[in-house]
Amino acid sequence: MVRDSSQIWTPSVIQDIHAKSDLGRYRVRGFSTFQRVPHFDDLVFLSTGLTRFPLEGYKEKCETRTVIGKRFASEPLVLDTPIYISGMSYGALSRTAKTALARGSAMVGSSTCTGDGGMLQEEREGARRLIYQILPSRYGLNPHHIQQADALEIVVGQGAKPGTGGLLMGVKVLDDVADMRDLPKAIDQRSPTRHPDWLGPDDLSIKIEQLREATDWRIPIHVKLPACRVKDDVKLAAKAGADAIVVDGMQAGTGASAEVLLDHSGIPTIAAIAQARDALREIGLYGEVSLIASGGIRSGADAAKALALGADAVAIGLAALIALNCNRAVEGVDFEKEVGVPAGQCHHCHTGKCPVGITTQDPELEKRLDVESGAERVANFINSMTMEMALLTRSLGKANVHSLEPEDLAALTIEASAMAQIPLAGTDRVFGR
Amino acid sequence: MVDLDAGTLTTRELNLKIKALAANGAEEIRVLNPQARHNLAVSVLAPCDITFEGSVGYFCASLMDGPRVTIRGNAGWALGDNLMGGTIVATGSVGAAVGSTMRGGEIFVGGNAGARAGISMKGGTLIVAGSVGFMSGFMMQKGRIIVCGDVGDGLGDSMYEGTIYAAANIESLGNDAIFDRISEEELISIWETLEGYGIKEQYQFRKIVSAKKLYHFDALERLEKTVI
Ligand code: SF4
Repeated sequence: MVRDSSQIWTPSVIQDIHAKSDLGRYRVRGFSTFQRVPHFDDLVFLSTGLTRFPLEGYKEKCETRTVIGKRFASEPLVLDTPIYISGMSYGALSRTAKTALARGSAMVGSSTCTGDGGMLQEEREGARRLIYQILPSRYGLNPHHIQQADALEIVVGQGAKPGTGGLLMGVKVLDDVADMRDLPKAIDQRSPTRHPDWLGPDDLSIKIEQLREATDWRIPIHVKLPACRVKDDVKLAAKAGADAIVVDGMQAGTGASAEVLLDHSGIPTIAAIAQARDALREIGLYGEVSLIASGGIRSGADAAKALALGADAVAIGLAALIALNCNRAVEGVDFEKEVGVPAGQCHHCHTGKCPVGITTQDPELEKRLDVESGAERVANFINSMTMEMALLTRSLGKANVHSLEPEDLAALTIEASAMAQIPLAGTDRVFGR
Repeated sequence: MVDLDAGTLTTRELNLKIKALAANGAEEIRVLNPQARHNLAVSVLAPCDITFEGSVGYFCASLMDGPRVTIRGNAGWALGDNLMGGTIVATGSVGAAVGSTMRGGEIFVGGNAGARAGISMKGGTLIVAGSVGFMSGFMMQKGRIIVCGDVGDGLGDSMYEGTIYAAANIESLGNDAIFDRISEEELISIWETLEGYGIKEQYQFRKIVSAKKLYHFDALERLEKTVI
């Protein structure tokens, strides 16, 4: 076969070199990795036949209630669905978007998470359950807000930019975002990546004890890890005393990250979940320490597969923003004119010029997002995902989404088989074992 | 004055008692035998006086808003971490990261402090009568650090705002930290502050601030340009 253009020097590679030769630094963008990596689509469920009996898909009850962090917390996080909204900061997101996510999560009995930059009062009031993040930057961290949280999450890193701190371009560091973070206005904020007050896992265990003392051992303490050396990291976090561990795969979304980190660091979410599960098993804490998976979860099928691989819950970020209208050609919005690409291809969150008012601090753009209808769309979407999970679970003859297990899955590719430790479809063989 | 003997209580029990006493308006609480334990008096959010008769471990008086804490001894890492308001006095020396991310209040260290003193500070005042270790004032955002003794490498690296005053030898300044002219009024104000802690010596401080050269990326893509 004769190809008509280079497969190595593609138009996008050429354009990237041109951009960097103009810019003189690494490029920054939002959204998520553009790499093609093994993902949930590479796994399928083995539903019932004669060996297993299905439950009635439309009628019989399927439990979705989820309890996170019962290891040491006297008041674990109890959610009606295993899907909650992950940490996205006020700053990366508009106040309207944060409020809509909080209210939407409350409508389906779930939770949202503050992200960096502190807790918004509207978010606290709108959310039924709220996870408060403790990041290396500690922007806006307030012990009075810690008392109002339903769980705390120590962020070691995130899947979209392992090994670096938050990034918020000056166009978004305005007025109360700058004030809440105690930063000069309009600076290109590059946050610390190391925590200021603890370094290794031994210190982390003392940090966890500090947060427990601050909350009278009431609420769960999560530790969020970027999916890199998952096995060791999960064991260390568990040993340091975490109630729940979040593993954030390389497909995780972001408001802004150096492109080189987005595309070239971390491991895929399916591999991360399998490794985290095995790590907890090896130290006898599987089932005791809750496992939460995030990074590229887009549907009830993805969430169900994550649970089958060993997660207790999933966190969604970008999917929730898409439910809010991200990349949707709503009336009166011209994506091509405003961000230079058509709706569906936008990844310009870092520019603060979000055409649909989600990832912006511009009051005029923010008006394009309505809190009430946005909250409703988020609730509808999580509800749809939960129903999809329940439907798949019943088709497997199970009455509780938490009964899904690796046994219920087959892999479509050798890579997915090896990464997720699932037999290749049509064979008994798990590659890489 | 209420006496609590840490030797007979777990950390959990001790903290619950301190918080209950503070919430019920106890004015003075004295903790005997703190045994250098970690996480003592964490997140006490009502005003009161707490005195530790001995050394304490990591994170003492952290996430705190209101009380006046005195430690008659040394302290471990992150004394007064994320302090919102109130004062902390340690008569001895303290470990790394004293006053990390503090947002208000005042911390006074009678001896020396370890590395990363005042790291990511967001407000308030940190005073060290002795010397501080490397990377002190790293990524400092607001507030004041006053050091009467020597300073290790990388002072004020990547600081955004805030001011550092150092009286003796500075091993090196960090990235983007520069010396600035100190005014007579500033010197007098520091001397007055120090006098409040019994330090009468009128040290000649040098002032360190941010050069603000790291505020922005050198170049921006078209859509990244700021609107102000
Ligand atoms: S529409 Fe808004 S939220 Fe979606 S990718 Fe574009 S800038 Fe980001």
